[in-house]
Amino acid sequence: MNSLDCLFKPRSIALIGASADEKRLGGVVSRNLRAFRGKFYPVNPNYTEIDEVPVYASIRDLPETVDLSVILRPAPEVPELLAAHAGKARCAIIVSAGFAETGCESLQQEVVRLGRELGIRLLGPNCLGVFAPYQRLDTLFLPRERLKRPKKGNVAVVSQSGALLLCLLETLAVSGRGVSLGVNYGNAADIDGADIYDYLAEDLETGVVISYLESMADGRRFVAAAEKLAQRKPLLILKAGKGESGQRAAYSHTGRLAGKYEVFSSIMRQSGIREVRDLDELLDAGHALARQRPSRGNRICIVTNAGGLGVLAADECARHGIEITPLPEAIRQRLHNCFPPFYSVANPIDLTGQVKDDEYLATLNEIQDEYDGFLVIAHTGVVGLTLRLAELLTVFRAASGKPLVAYLAPGGITDQLAKRLEKGEIPVYPSPERAVRGLSSLMNYGQGPCK
Amino acid sequence: MQVTTEKLRRFLAAHGNSQTFLEQEVKGLLRELGIAVPSGVFIPAGEPVPSPHSLLFPLVAKAALPGVASKNDIGGVRLGIRDAAELSVAVAELEKIPVAAGVLVEEMARPGVEVIVGGAVDPQFGPIVMFGLGGLFVELFRDVAFAMAPLDRRAARRLVEATKGAVVLRGYRGKPPVDMESLLSVVVAVSELIGSGFIEEIDLNPVELYPDGALVVDAKMKRRSQESW
Repeated sequence: MNSLDCLFKPRSIALIGASADEKRLGGVVSRNLRAFRGKFYPVNPNYTEIDEVPVYASIRDLPETVDLSVILRPAPEVPELLAAHAGKARCAIIVSAGFAETGCESLQQEVVRLGRELGIRLLGPNCLGVFAPYQRLDTLFLPRERLKRPKKGNVAVVSQSGALLLCLLETLAVSGRGVSLGVNYGNAADIDGADIYDYLAEDLETGVVISYLESMADGRRFVAAAEKLAQRKPLLILKAGKGESGQRAAYSHTGRLAGKYEVFSSIMRQSGIREVRDLDELLDAGHALARQRPSRGNRICIVTNAGGLGVLAADECARHGIEITPLPEAIRQRLHNCFPPFYSVANPIDLTGQVKDDEYLATLNEIQDEYDGFLVIAHTGVVGLTLRLAELLTVFRAASGKPLVAYLAPGGITDQLAKRLEKGEIPVYPSPERAVRGLSSLMNYGQGPCK
Repeated sequence: MQVTTEKLRRFLAAHGNSQTFLEQEVKGLLRELGIAVPSGVFIPAGEPVPSPHSLLFPLVAKAALPGVASKNDIGGVRLGIRDAAELSVAVAELEKIPVAAGVLVEEMARPGVEVIVGGAVDPQFGPIVMFGLGGLFVELFRDVAFAMAPLDRRAARRLVEATKGAVVLRGYRGKPPVDMESLLSVVVAVSELIGSGFIEEIDLNPVELYPDGALVVDAKMKRRSQESW
């Protein structure tokens, strides 16, 4: 299998179905591709130029062989258009819908056959293609006013569904997080999830992969690729279609119990591949893994100034099998001696409404060797807390090298404080429970399968 | 894997075109693969009960049914047979079941920890193995784990330990742990049978686990019509 550089890092692109009309999909993609760093060749027999960029009547007319061609024409035209790609493109994204997903299996097979014959790798059909901010490559047919694009980052988003890709990209963009790549592979007639995992395992810009999956053609190849990728960088998979269970009439017990999802999930677990339960968890865990290195241990300490919020977090820890071990007696004593008597020096440690910035740091410094990770909860409405807290936590986190995430209760300085924490690579979550789930993705990482 | 496949090939060749096999036939194959099954004799329909025989009471008598029928559903099992007289009665009754090809008489298995080891062909992953604790664990809690066949002993152990019920195997409430090595041999054998590509489904249910061994009490197997994989 060759590298998919021609798809994800192309130097030249053709757009079949370019348009000057920004109300049409071809117009939107034309506009998006004008920012592309390499050479861009719009193709459409009805134009000679679009915004002073020369337009070609056919891909045959291009002066060079392009790395990537994006085909944005109705499905029935695709075979003929693709046939014209002979010797003119290394790979192609078929955006067009109306293939196997609508029952037109034969049309899809014809396209696959053509791709093989011409030696052109195909993404799609029925897909949005690629968003690669490092190349300024954007084949999404949604205008930027309608869908915010995330900045450059280290998270790759791999989605079988187009809508899910958009949803994830928008969410990441709005929360100021960056991606290395976004890709929607649709019907996976040629390039599938496993191919993309293989590529991402080698991709230097990608540190974490979050992936939405509905089905796969070859489970064994998928597991092999996912296993290899997960050994190099965190991979989080959200599988849809969990309800399908093995109720078919079968000769044996095994056959009756072997629902598609149960089998998938069980095999993932034993292969050490992380599955998340829902969209929130996919984003929350991805958020943490994009910023911090996982820890091998499983013991955390919660430091809060709001008792109730600490208790909610502790409850969530229990649900995830994260240990909230009590403080060693010596540390308890030391903290007790330097704090007012009404601070609760247990785990969670409750620094109460009287807390000052420095007391968070003093506490963390005391406990840092005893725990594998930290959850800081702050109700920022109290007068003792200032934006300086972000600086203290950032410095502590960087020095300790251990996972630390935060939840800030809503309040006057919360937004600003959150921004500073995020800048200091400390993920901030919208609820204590989600903070725990984010932290949990960083805990116990090295233990491998079967946990 | 190769040894298993070779023995399976010979077994299939000896059984012509049948899609399913009688219990004692599957058990014969397992015994050849070094898996323990209860001592027993098969009495073909219409033949007299051999006596004296070498089996130790109490015995169990089961109607041998071809195809997919379930013995229990049609009253095809007699448990706790204490002597020769009871055995004659049981065999005579079971032989009256119209489709019965005969009666399998076996020594009763001592109670141990019951588990299921099975194999099937999954549309996404091809041949897979299933492990689960028997009885309620499977029926009610669906506490089972799957893996891609074939498995080596390490992967077999990982499969077994992927179930919540695995704690029971390690000795629970003062009970001694079961013989894990014998269990792993059963799992590996099933994984090799299903992994051969010749089998559609196989179900060893229950397998009784003891501190000193594992015994396959009931076994079903179905041939794959299309020998892909």
